[in-house]
Amino acid sequence: MNDQKIVFTGSLGAGKTTAIASISEIPVINADIQTSDFTRPVMRQIEKKALPNNATGRSMTTVAMDYGEVNLGSGKKLRLYGTPGQQRFDYMWKLLIQGAQGLVIFVDNAGVDPVGDLARYTDIFREYILTTQTVIAVTRMDLAPRPSMQVYQNYLHQLGIQLPVFAVDARSSESVVNMIRHLIEMINGENH
Amino acid sequence: MLSETVTQQLEQQLESLLERCQPLCAAVVVTVDGYTCAMKQQTHGKYSLERVATMGSTLMSLGDTMTAELKMGRCENIISENEQGIVAFMHINNNLVLVTLTTETNSLGMLLSHSRKCAETLSKINYS
Repeated sequence: MNDQKIVFTGSLGAGKTTAIASISEIPVINADIQTSDFTRPVMRQIEKKALPNNATGRSMTTVAMDYGEVNLGSGKKLRLYGTPGQQRFDYMWKLLIQGAQGLVIFVDNAGVDPVGDLARYTDIFREYILTTQTVIAVTRMDLAPRPSMQVYQNYLHQLGIQLPVFAVDARSSESVVNMIRHLIEMINGENH
Repeated sequence: MLSETVTQQLEQQLESLLERCQPLCAAVVVTVDGYTCAMKQQTHGKYSLERVATMGSTLMSLGDTMTAELKMGRCENIISENEQGIVAFMHINNNLVLVTLTTETNSLGMLLSHSRKCAETLSKINYS
């Protein structure tokens, strides 16, 4: 197979779209739309933690998918798909995960219940996690250093799942590439 | 969040749409990020419309993304023609989408014409 497909999933505002934009070598195709009054309070809470005092951010949310590409050399491409974060769009999760070689679960450490978010997504994608390569990307640790990485590792251990957990700054291409490189090594290792 | 008055206006317009266009089975107004604002159907409870409405917002968003990529302006409507019916999705304004459906596969013209008129009427409501 020439191309590799990796899906970015995780809770609302965890940085999936930002991470794809950080590393994509093509203009990211994103179906983000302005949040309505129904979603806005949640987004405001996220922005309040993410932005400096008095700054205002765009309240955008993904309702379909994000798509970006990275050249891997020798004509191979890494295709990156971002899912919507809100559970109401779970039909897109099932569509986008088809044929993927890797999955990244984004957890917002500054969220209301980050370990609960991890629990939800590991449960939803459990079947997939057990059969293919997955990593956990914990974001916004600069804003909320707790829970620590150890808490996530302990939680996964309780579930009987062994997955690498990375602290990721979704805005930094270096940080995202480091995690993706590890995931690709896992995928390639599995294929040999 | 829409006011009660606006929600009532939306429901009245949807009811009137279903009365005017008999082949129509159901009509829903949904925000572009997938929240149902108002819905009406000929047979109460026949369809679970909330999930369909959410999917409507996804489709419209994909439509807008595609037409932007092709520089064709805003996506006006998306039609899903199926073995046992037709579903149409169209913008009311930048924030709202109208979803209408019929089980009569030969009623596409009627569905589109009535839905378009309804969307225009709904766009004139004062949402502020």
